[in-house]
Amino acid sequence: MTTTEKPETAAAAGAPEYKVIGTRPVRPDGVDKVTGRAIYGADVRLPGMLYGRVKRSPHAHAIIKRLDVSKALALPGVQAVLTHEDFPEPAEPIMQTIRGPQPTAWDTERQMARRKVLFKGHPVAAVCASDVHTAEDALDLIEVEYEVLPAVVSLDTALLPGAPILHDDGKADAVEGLFELVDGKPSNIARRLDLTVGDIEVGFAEADVILEREYETSMAHQGYIEPHNGTAIWNNDGKLTIWTSTQGAFGIRQNVARTLNIPLGDLRVVPAEIGGGFGAKNVVYLEPLAALLSKKTGRPVQITMNRTEVLEATGPTSGTRSWVRMGAKRDGTIVAADIRLEYEAGAYPGSPMPGGARCALGPYAVPHQRIVGFDVVVNKPKVAAYRAPGAPASEFAVESLLDELAERLEMDPMDLRLKNCATAGTPRSDGATHGSIGAREVMEAVASHPHYRSEMGGRDVGRGVAMGFWQNGGGESSAYANVHQDGRVTLVTGSVDIGGQRAALAMQFAETMGIPYEDVNSLVGDTDTIGFTGNTGGSRTTFATGWAVYQAALDVRAQMEQRVAQMWEVDPSEVTYDPKDATLRGPEGKEITFKAAARRLPGTGGMIQGQADIVATNVGKVGACYGAHIADVEVDRETGKVTILRYTAVQDVGRAIHPAYVEGQIQGGAVQGIGMALNEEYVYNDDGTMVNSSFLDYRMPVANDVPMIETVMVEVPNPGHPFGVRGVGEVPIVPPLGAIANAIFDAVGVRVTRLPASPRVILEELEAAGGT
Amino acid sequence: MRANPEARPIAGGSDLLGWIKEDVQGTGEPRWNLLVDIRTIPGSDEIRFDEADGLTLGPLATLDAIEHSPEVQDRYPVLSRAAGAAASPNIRHVGTIGGNINQRPRCWYLRNTEFDCYKKGGNFCFAVTGKNEYHAILNGELCYIVHPSDAAPALMALHADATIRTADGEQTMPFDEYFIGPRQDVLRENVLQQGDLLTRIHMPTPSPNAGMSFIKAQRRGETYDFAVVNVATVIVHEGDQIEDASIVLSGVAPTPFRAVAAEDALRGQTVSDGLLQQAAGAALLRARPMTENAYKVGISKNLIVRSVREAMA
Repeated sequence: MTTTEKPETAAAAGAPEYKVIGTRPVRPDGVDKVTGRAIYGADVRLPGMLYGRVKRSPHAHAIIKRLDVSKALALPGVQAVLTHEDFPEPAEPIMQTIRGPQPTAWDTERQMARRKVLFKGHPVAAVCASDVHTAEDALDLIEVEYEVLPAVVSLDTALLPGAPILHDDGKADAVEGLFELVDGKPSNIARRLDLTVGDIEVGFAEADVILEREYETSMAHQGYIEPHNGTAIWNNDGKLTIWTSTQGAFGIRQNVARTLNIPLGDLRVVPAEIGGGFGAKNVVYLEPLAALLSKKTGRPVQITMNRTEVLEATGPTSGTRSWVRMGAKRDGTIVAADIRLEYEAGAYPGSPMPGGARCALGPYAVPHQRIVGFDVVVNKPKVAAYRAPGAPASEFAVESLLDELAERLEMDPMDLRLKNCATAGTPRSDGATHGSIGAREVMEAVASHPHYRSEMGGRDVGRGVAMGFWQNGGGESSAYANVHQDGRVTLVTGSVDIGGQRAALAMQFAETMGIPYEDVNSLVGDTDTIGFTGNTGGSRTTFATGWAVYQAALDVRAQMEQRVAQMWEVDPSEVTYDPKDATLRGPEGKEITFKAAARRLPGTGGMIQGQADIVATNVGKVGACYGAHIADVEVDRETGKVTILRYTAVQDVGRAIHPAYVEGQIQGGAVQGIGMALNEEYVYNDDGTMVNSSFLDYRMPVANDVPMIETVMVEVPNPGHPFGVRGVGEVPIVPPLGAIANAIFDAVGVRVTRLPASPRVILEELEAAGGT
Repeated sequence: MRANPEARPIAGGSDLLGWIKEDVQGTGEPRWNLLVDIRTIPGSDEIRFDEADGLTLGPLATLDAIEHSPEVQDRYPVLSRAAGAAASPNIRHVGTIGGNINQRPRCWYLRNTEFDCYKKGGNFCFAVTGKNEYHAILNGELCYIVHPSDAAPALMALHADATIRTADGEQTMPFDEYFIGPRQDVLRENVLQQGDLLTRIHMPTPSPNAGMSFIKAQRRGETYDFAVVNVATVIVHEGDQIEDASIVLSGVAPTPFRAVAAEDALRGQTVSDGLLQQAAGAALLRARPMTENAYKVGISKNLIVRSVREAMA
């Protein structure tokens, strides 16, 4: 069930009538995917291709004393073996990452360990052979002697004075702010972030009620269906081509070129169809290994991961601990918030703690704030982005404490939130101020929704609500459009299609041109066939690449005006392209349809191609996004099982280009958040071995574990986009953690502060509360 | 198979193939190099009910066929529900009753190649000092696996017999004697030796006064999950008066666990809240939870009470 609410603001702005935007056409890749014909990365087959496997460390923390690959090389069928010695020295000692500068060598060492292994599953060698079984057998013949070190597998052990230090090689010394000494000693704290608004001493002095609590969330994996893969052919002429499953071919190109120390122009990255990414497929794992093995053998090499490798050695999201203290006046005005966040980064710095810090209080106007974040390295795989990276954990903490505050103040939880709602101009934690946002519209839509207002019946059932905030990204996008003689258009962009973008982009193009969606053939280019485009992530694609295709369509229109002016022998300024009926009009009632004009292009100077390269950086207006979820649960006090009875997700989507895919994003995000809330966790042995490294033991919710996720799309158009688009993909993973924890409290009166709320956690909390 | 220690029978294969592909075999058993498909044995998938003789199951009857057999649904609902509670619809269509009760345990140390535990021929149980949220609370010694089967407790609750073919010919025994604990042989979970086959499952016709219940507590909502605890219960009763009780749990001990103390406490008694609590408490009296699994003691007691009530409803 879905409703679209158009609030006053949109109506007042005179919401335009669209012909294509807002409809629900079939995606161009749909048929191939449901019939099994789509070519994913592991489906790539090249003549003479070899198969690679990766030898991985069985230890979470150890020094490599000896590495001998000679027996593996001698195995018949084995074509080459790769170790750290095959990787070049980095050209630049320091590299820029989205989480700040880091020693470049670390990125290479993450892909292939050199002196130390820092997590179980850390690659130490790779083999390629004529078949995957031979490669697998060869792994057992690689001899590695380790000096095993104590493993750091929790925040507690990582932060202990005297804890084993992961990065003791001095490489961080060159980077300011990275691993600064703590009390004069090395530590596992990679970075510290301080955000301050106002003065919390002043704020807490004004408070009538002050609550504080600590919360924990588990490491969780994105759980995409398709494991990582990489296929490479490095030709004798020095040209390297890579096929891979990625969210961004250009990001992979940059990373691989840096690791292999080769010119960007020698490397072509072709993005295959992708079977899910959720942030984790922006990272390079197998591609450089396949490339170097191809260089050694002169043959194409393909490496794929199995599920255990994906869970143990790719980039899940952080395990976290958040401490929150908030003060409010008796009338519900929140006056101060003091937050401390500790996020596990895994083996190398770069947890999503900054995202968590910036978003924690995003839905609210809090005059006095202090947020301190710590990025902590532990002997686990380096975390990667996961849908609104960092936000679910910190906002779970804030939304839980707010619920408690509402209870203490005897206020309706939504009334408390509405009282403190952020609006345009509200200072954000990061020092900026909010642009045009839909926080209030979302909160009002929840408060007035029939679900929120319905009565709950039955024993041990409860309702919870929570907000979610995510900033969304912009960045570079490229598009071009080939106009064909029949008036159809091939639209090429550099945005890998994870969530129906090919359709959403074709729709924005068709709308701008005034032509049918079916007339646009929407494709994804590779790094040699399309201009630079940022990765599909940060909820940026429908927004930023949508903007690029809008510009490309305007370019087509302008060129068509020129050509038609030429045909009519009038000045181009006298010809206007009218997108209402895709017709060009000139003086004296002259008119010609776009289709008819396209037919005449060959004789008037050849076919045309519209093109655009844009940088969407309208900071403050890039369409920050809010969601709010309502969860009804039933808690079985005897078995600890939490059943979700009803679930509604409300979200400001700016403008829903393809409503069905927006709903899909909201539903998918909600289910992943539900997984974090109830099921999913990395269980680590003290030695740093993940014990539940299969989907049988790492339990994600599937379709029949959740009810229909009802979606409500609130449309508060983003003034910084031609169609009002806001990114929609990430924010829906944020609210479920708080909404479900709050619902559990409403049902059985216990505050779950550590997630997932497994049967064990529920029963232990109930027992502690004396209420079983 | 008897002559070749590296041969292994295969039927549905839903557990065996994963076991082989994940390469978790330790030193305690040979690496299989020969799989013998036993699905072609005539009649081995039969489901035959006779009012006088009871229910006979071939070991290769699929879980799906058992779940949906009208006779099983009508006369042995605890078995129908247990068969339907296992795994997913896909697996139940290929998975057999014999495979379900003979499958290897799900212990995450056993299933991880990095841990050379007792059950693989090693000399340590990693659950004792490690992560034991889902391990045994009863009868653990040496090894703290839990029996993973949903069907096994139902068969035991129905007092089923197993017929096996061994080097010495055919033998029949109650399922209570079919499953063996780690102390008896840590490398196996049942009496079958290399080359032996489970050939027939048989259970008597239940009393017309028998009420039955099967309840499974699991982590996810409805799906594809091994039990945290499950319980199969058959209560013969006249109104509130309990004549006989048969209560078996899985997920709590290395073998399906017959709650003898609870059965004794209930037999011949008039049902009451107090009696049920006392019976459940008696059943778990010997529970020895480890660092992370004490919550399973509570679940087990609660499920016993709930299932007796359900069986008598």
